Amino acid sequence: MSSQAEATLGLNPRVYQSGLGARLWSFFHNRYVLYGLSVIGFLAIWHWAALHSSIAKFLPTPAEVWTEMVRLSGDRLAGKTLWGHLWASLRRVLIGFAIGLAVGVPLGLFMALNKYVNAVVKPVFDLIKPMPPISWISLSILWFGIGEESKVFIIVVGAFVPALINSYNGIRLVDPALYDAIRMLGGNRRQELLQVTFPAGFPALFAGFQIALSVAWGCVLAAELVGARSGMGYIIILGMKVFNPAMIIGGMVVIALVAGMLSLLLNKVEKVICPWKRELPQ
Amino acid sequence: MDPEARQRESRLLKILPYLSLVAFFVFWQLLVDTGIVPRVLLATPSEVGKLFIAKLTQAQPDGAVLWIHTVVSLGEAIVGYLLALIIGIPLGLLMGWFVVAEGLARPLFEMIRPIPPVAWIPLAIFWFGIGMSGKVFIIWACAVVPCVINAYTGVRMTNPTLIQMARTYGASDWQIFTRICIPSALPMVFGGLQIALALAWTTLVAAELIASDTGLGFLINMGRRLLRPDMIVLGMLMVGLTGFGIGILIDWIEKKLTAGLERGGSAS
Repeated sequence: MSSQAEATLGLNPRVYQSGLGARLWSFFHNRYVLYGLSVIGFLAIWHWAALHSSIAKFLPTPAEVWTEMVRLSGDRLAGKTLWGHLWASLRRVLIGFAIGLAVGVPLGLFMALNKYVNAVVKPVFDLIKPMPPISWISLSILWFGIGEESKVFIIVVGAFVPALINSYNGIRLVDPALYDAIRMLGGNRRQELLQVTFPAGFPALFAGFQIALSVAWGCVLAAELVGARSGMGYIIILGMKVFNPAMIIGGMVVIALVAGMLSLLLNKVEKVICPWKRELPQ
Repeated sequence: MDPEARQRESRLLKILPYLSLVAFFVFWQLLVDTGIVPRVLLATPSEVGKLFIAKLTQAQPDGAVLWIHTVVSLGEAIVGYLLALIIGIPLGLLMGWFVVAEGLARPLFEMIRPIPPVAWIPLAIFWFGIGMSGKVFIIWACAVVPCVINAYTGVRMTNPTLIQMARTYGASDWQIFTRICIPSALPMVFGGLQIALALAWTTLVAAELIASDTGLGFLINMGRRLLRPDMIVLGMLMVGLTGFGIGILIDWIEKKLTAGLERGGSAS
């Protein structure tokens, strides 16, 4: 718990005591000590499980995974190194994500602002919404083949849904008191839109982008697992075919790192674009 | 605006959604019937309807009738989902309130969170085989994440005034946790359940596409192999409808459980 939370939630009295016991207590209640313990413990358990547990045959040790990742980043698989495959996936994600947002956000905005657009689009959207984007894979392969387009199409479908839902709800659920305020101050319709609706809706929009991004990663992997000659999904499925679990886990680690970094980047962009967003107490 | 025009407007708004749906289906049917989209690439709604009725009783060509596919998929999804709830929600709640729980669980969780659930599929097949337990593991791995995040956030969003008040009256840490933090986290927890459900259902379809012998994902995959677009669309519709149904069920349970906990006008 951070200092802010402790200040609001009330400090534990043991913090003020002295002596060895109290010092040990506060050492093991330090956030970063616990984080370190947790990571070391995790790696140790993993290492132990890889050597002794019942699934040991399919579980490489952390060190083996690292060696495998180093090997992959030099070797070529299907004409590409690990970085080439990573770029192939990343490109699909970025293209699909961009198209998904370009379609979903304006549509969501129009639905929220105009009840006629809403009445026409909402029922069709509600029909499509509950279908998992991954279930489009078969249809998409039938339509576009197993090339680039079919993968991008699935990502577009996946990213478009959360982008639309969040822009629609974000705009619709803007606090009506804000509208009252700007109307009382004599704002016209344009000022209402630019100075109240959009700024107040932005945080919800960005939350939708985050969801869309993680859905996009899931979609690109699923598409590549089903049929592809490049991409991180290809590496993972190849690892499964040649019976090399270290390759699978190595691929998962790379994806986790890149996806995590992209999502952090999006967070930073959000902080720059809408600094007025309220944060959770950390 | 005079009342008559207003009435006309509201009548129009009531009819438009139905018109739009009808137009959507007619357009879809015409698109295929007129040959703009070849018949091998897309089935018409009427073909899908016919196949739906046929598949209710007939096991060919994919080896099981429709409701068996649905029940198999549902069974896997529900077991994985329940396991995720049982582990994820208490973990998230504890992480929100206890420093040690947060310190130990947070880094692991942050490491695992960005991995798309689909990426677990090959490992799950290695570890558990292509049967039920492999899929349950995958669904567990994807559904547990939103459960933990939302339970954690829910506890963190507890109104500090309530906690201070409880402390003033001499409540212990544990009492505050169980009497104040958990009830006030419930709406967030249920939000997490909805997200987890959507994710679990999506991931299940992906898992079945890659390895299975029954289930709705398998039905979709067979449709692709046999070049039967009507089968693909039927599978997709069944997946959508079932997910929609479970979503409504969770909404209903949430309303029952959180009656009287309504936060003033909050949307979550």
